[in-house]
Amino acid sequence: MERSVRDEILARLKAAPKVPIPPRPPKPKLHEHSLTGEAVIEKFTKTLMEETGIVHRVGNREEVLKKLLEIAYEERLKKVMVSDDEVLAPLNLKAWGERNDIQVMTPKDFPDRNSFRDAVFDQADAGITGADFAFAESGSLGLAFHPDQARLVSLAPILHIAVVPVDRVLAYYEQGIPKIFQEKGKYPSQFVFITGPSMTGDIEGVLFKGMHGPRKVIVILVG
Amino acid sequence: MEIKTRQFKELASQWMKDPAARAFLRRGPYIMSGKRDNALLTFPDIPEAQAYGAVIRAEAMARLPELLEQFEKNATANGAKVLWVRDGRELNETIVKLIQKRGAPYVTKGKSMVTEESGLNEDLEKNGIESFETDLGEFIAQLLKRPPFHIVGPAINVPKEEVCDIFMAKAGMKECTTDPVALGYAARLFLREKFHHAQIGITGVNVAVAETGTIINVENEGNIRFTKSSPKTQISVMSLEKVVPTMEDALHMLRLLCRNCTGQKLSAYVSMDSGPKKAGEIDGPEELIIVIVDGGRTKIYQDVKSREALRCIRCAACLNICPVWRTIGGYAYGFAYSGPMGQVLNPLLLGLDQTQDLYRATTLCGACKSVCPVGIDHPGMFLYYRSKDVEGDPEFQAQPRPAMEKRFFQGFAFAVNRSWFWNLGVKMARPFLNRDAENGIIRRMKGPFSGWFQSRDLPAVAKKTFHDRWKDELKNKG
Repeated sequence: MERSVRDEILARLKAAPKVPIPPRPPKPKLHEHSLTGEAVIEKFTKTLMEETGIVHRVGNREEVLKKLLEIAYEERLKKVMVSDDEVLAPLNLKAWGERNDIQVMTPKDFPDRNSFRDAVFDQADAGITGADFAFAESGSLGLAFHPDQARLVSLAPILHIAVVPVDRVLAYYEQGIPKIFQEKGKYPSQFVFITGPSMTGDIEGVLFKGMHGPRKVIVILVG
Repeated sequence: MEIKTRQFKELASQWMKDPAARAFLRRGPYIMSGKRDNALLTFPDIPEAQAYGAVIRAEAMARLPELLEQFEKNATANGAKVLWVRDGRELNETIVKLIQKRGAPYVTKGKSMVTEESGLNEDLEKNGIESFETDLGEFIAQLLKRPPFHIVGPAINVPKEEVCDIFMAKAGMKECTTDPVALGYAARLFLREKFHHAQIGITGVNVAVAETGTIINVENEGNIRFTKSSPKTQISVMSLEKVVPTMEDALHMLRLLCRNCTGQKLSAYVSMDSGPKKAGEIDGPEELIIVIVDGGRTKIYQDVKSREALRCIRCAACLNICPVWRTIGGYAYGFAYSGPMGQVLNPLLLGLDQTQDLYRATTLCGACKSVCPVGIDHPGMFLYYRSKDVEGDPEFQAQPRPAMEKRFFQGFAFAVNRSWFWNLGVKMARPFLNRDAENGIIRRMKGPFSGWFQSRDLPAVAKKTFHDRWKDELKNKG
């Protein structure tokens, strides 16, 4: 049998001269390694705000709903696409929407990719999600995607609102990411770091937000 | 992609006269270098952080075949399909077939430098498949049919008036504007429609993680996330050197890449794929196809010194700081990669004979080396290529040097090794050299050395050499 391209490439690499593997120095230090408690949340808030993210802090679920309503009025939201993830599910946003005359859609309302795409691209004024993590070191949200967390909710609408319990705010990536990649076969199909709104500087270096994804990112910290 | 590396000098002088390129180069590279320097200050110990990146990439290269096998095994276990191709031609054929089999009318594309190398867009077009570059800069470069000026901002030098014209002609823009934000918004609307109905998305890969079989993309616009979320099929193309051993290594490389590249702690979106979407997910690809491209890398890998070039993570810190790139911009380098990284990579990918001026157009100042997060010794590589070229190494496609030059340097080597001969030679050459001197400086010279004097001056040879004077001194004293 003819040798496959794969085998040919690997054979060439294996036949090449070997060099010793350089010894590993200790892992580089980060300022965030020593951050704990409230300082982590402060750092996250400050870092995300530097990326033009907006951060609110509320005490409990009731206040989340109140804050969401404030945002909905301010941003004139008529229709929103909402994830079913474990942060948002207990908030029962469908009922919240009915009470406040805001149409709340979830990806599960749609039978297939195309109908969901039509709604999330063309109808949703905002996407609301939970988040698995928030990382202080770069002001980033971390979202793992699964049936209750569709990818386009945090991407296609012009506004992304994320609700994050404060115990999910971590100082640096290594405190969270290993949990995502703990068990082989159970990795999320995609994990994404979201750091502020979508942006570009590709025309004459002029920076602006909302290139393809959201123009605004609002994070509501709970607790 | 049309390779123009042999036209380096013509292109450099052409673009040095371009007002828009000049306007950008006067400020842009300095701003970008400054942002990078500021971002690195967030590390408690910058050299330590940079050096750790070099160690990760050096280890990845030392263990390359083993890591690729591990990556393939884990990516396959995650449900991805892994294909291998030898070169750009095979890559383009493979992708054309994948698209034709699925019957997609068009594809959306995230930035991928290896498909830039292979000229994928041209081949897709030839086969009647529309392809839309979706990174704003790449989109503009594609419409204008230009190579990337800068690896991170491919069209950053293009004036907004020109962007307006091309958007009016080809991107459905109705009213002309020179507001960059409005232009960006026009591109958003045009490409959003493409994302919405896309059936196939093509992306590159910034980092591949052997330990988990995960591929990682780094971006700011969201175009790659759309390309990996909306369509049913995702094709991600990686040249085989992208792999790192572990997820922790990948996290450190991301910290380094974003800081060195755009001066961000992390770019707006970093997305990590481990297989296609799972049952019950409404978006994300049903199939994830990862194409691993050799594209000349296994050949580069055979030479232990050249192998160092494969550490490159395409951050472009070396472009922004390079006095040559800051003067001529990116087009002169004639291929996908410009600046010092291009001067290191292009000769290995295309052959020393095709890139003669690239590794010579350098001051050897080492600014590139000083900012490199993976420890590439660019000036050392340039000198290495020159020596390989002069030796006539066929493995490097060396180009024989002109016979005159060869004879001159043979004579030169003979002379400098024998002081009596050298001293005699200087004495004899003095009248000939000084013939062209004006006020004690030789500014030009006719004949075979005229080229050398185009950008350099030589002090006239003194009436007496130092040795002569020293002898006289001793005599006078004695």
